[in-house]
Amino acid sequence: MISHNARHGETPERLKFIGLASIAALLLIAIGHQANSSGREYMLVLSVFATRFLGIFVEAVPFLLLGSITSGLIETFIKSDDIMRFLPRNRLGAAIGGAFLGLVFPVCECGVVPVARRLFTKGSPVSLGVAFLLAAPFMNPIVFASTYIAFGFGPVFIGRIVVTILVAVIVGTVIGSFAKAKAVLKSISMGGGHDGHEHCDGDEPATRVKLLGALQIAGDEFFEMGRFLIFGSMLAALMQTLVPQESLLALGTGPVFSVLFMQILAYVLSVCSTVDSFLALAFVNTFTTGAIVSFLSFGPMVDIKSTLMFTGVFRRRIVLYLILLPFVMNLLAGAVINVILDNVV
Amino acid sequence: MTRQRENHHTADRIAQAKTLILCGMGLYLTLLILTGSLDNYINQRFAWLVVVGALLFFLLALVSFYSSRERAAREHHHHHYHITWDIALVVAFPLLLAILIPSRSLGIEAVNGGVSLNPVGVAGLSRSPLDRNILDWLREFDRAATPAQLNGTPVDVVGFIYREPSHPEDGFMLARFTLSCCVADAFPIGMPVISDAAGDLAEGEWLRVQGQLKASAFAGDFLPVVVADMVERVDEPAQPYLYP
Repeated sequence: MISHNARHGETPERLKFIGLASIAALLLIAIGHQANSSGREYMLVLSVFATRFLGIFVEAVPFLLLGSITSGLIETFIKSDDIMRFLPRNRLGAAIGGAFLGLVFPVCECGVVPVARRLFTKGSPVSLGVAFLLAAPFMNPIVFASTYIAFGFGPVFIGRIVVTILVAVIVGTVIGSFAKAKAVLKSISMGGGHDGHEHCDGDEPATRVKLLGALQIAGDEFFEMGRFLIFGSMLAALMQTLVPQESLLALGTGPVFSVLFMQILAYVLSVCSTVDSFLALAFVNTFTTGAIVSFLSFGPMVDIKSTLMFTGVFRRRIVLYLILLPFVMNLLAGAVINVILDNVV
Repeated sequence: MTRQRENHHTADRIAQAKTLILCGMGLYLTLLILTGSLDNYINQRFAWLVVVGALLFFLLALVSFYSSRERAAREHHHHHYHITWDIALVVAFPLLLAILIPSRSLGIEAVNGGVSLNPVGVAGLSRSPLDRNILDWLREFDRAATPAQLNGTPVDVVGFIYREPSHPEDGFMLARFTLSCCVADAFPIGMPVISDAAGDLAEGEWLRVQGQLKASAFAGDFLPVVVADMVERVDEPAQPYLYP
């Protein structure tokens, strides 16, 4: 089974090595260039990068661990059929239900795609599945907590909740109005897939065994998602070390362009929703409030790593809608927030 | 058959590496707390999160150790994720960095694009002049109706020297980084200082400056400036950042 994977599904080892080595080399070259042009010592610039990177990582990693453990517990303890029974069936109602379903299935954007796919295969309405997919990475207690810790109770916290729910419900209803459940998923991903432990044996395992299983999954999930967090923190730390705040500020002005720039940044950085608040804090001094809100609401919906996961599960046309609709709507929401704050406050 | 055994061998190795990395992460977080270098990275207010993180890492390491031993005993097992060595390597990167590069706080080298004269965060209650740090002073400057209003108030602050070509020859900014949450949001702020000793002091040095405020022209602005009576070199404070 393992050798089968190695032959068909995965990148060859040599290619991976070359990839990692070139990332490391680029990192060192970029830091060297910065040291040269600013006349500072190489080791000092490297240590600034290390401090910034480790700071982001240390602050974020407890949240990633909590997320991984929650995900492991869901995998072993909850069946999605149980949840489906309580949800409304009409399109708008289902979309609203889907947007709040994240409170029951707290997963970040790394874990949401497989759960959404499972909802679709179990016959969920399209609007529910899509709204869940977009809102769940934010709609959960862990992300509420990290956003609250980073920003307190204010325009960013409230804006993030409102914009996320609005965008998720609208996009869910729109896609639900023209797509049937069978037309959403790629044909290969309709067939079963990996459904927990059910295939192992018929008997329900003991709670102790389930708990152990949940923690095992949590450990694996930490590695699986941790690498995205580490790449994200690396990019963010690198940018903070290399790009002077003034040149960011030039992009960060204006009610629309600041939002556009932050959304592109959210897409590129691909940071986990549990920790993106701490990264957004870095931009509070340079960017408009609307841009921060859009960064926080758009980032968990769509980014580089979730796009990759989308293409593995959904049809190409749906993937396009899943990226473009949230992008445009978040941009609009961010711009509106900026205009309101400028005129009222 | 040989190939399969080889693959099992690799899987065991990766399982061991996983346990080791999880344990290493737990140890790293514990050491940060015990040595106090955690203050270089995050706001003290969130130290408890790191304690939780360390405990969870040890728990996961224990489970990983236990399950890899069990796996060796039992042939049948299923992977939920296929953790490969390159993933393990990427996740080990923070540990490598932590071992290879000594822990330092953000200082003068990290100032990237100027030091701000604007306070960060929301102002609380006003403290008595000699207890005010640089952040408190910037808030007072904001509150004052005119720069001259604070003339003659005594100042006693600690910070590092920051210089710009526009600064006068006997002047510099005394700067600190503020930290709301972690170094991701670190932001340099500072107040202008005029001192006879300015020429002997190197950029980045940590100083304690005592003096009085006097509204003057500094780098093209008219603002409250510290006229130093006494300037003394000090060690970097145990808490290098100011918490808004």
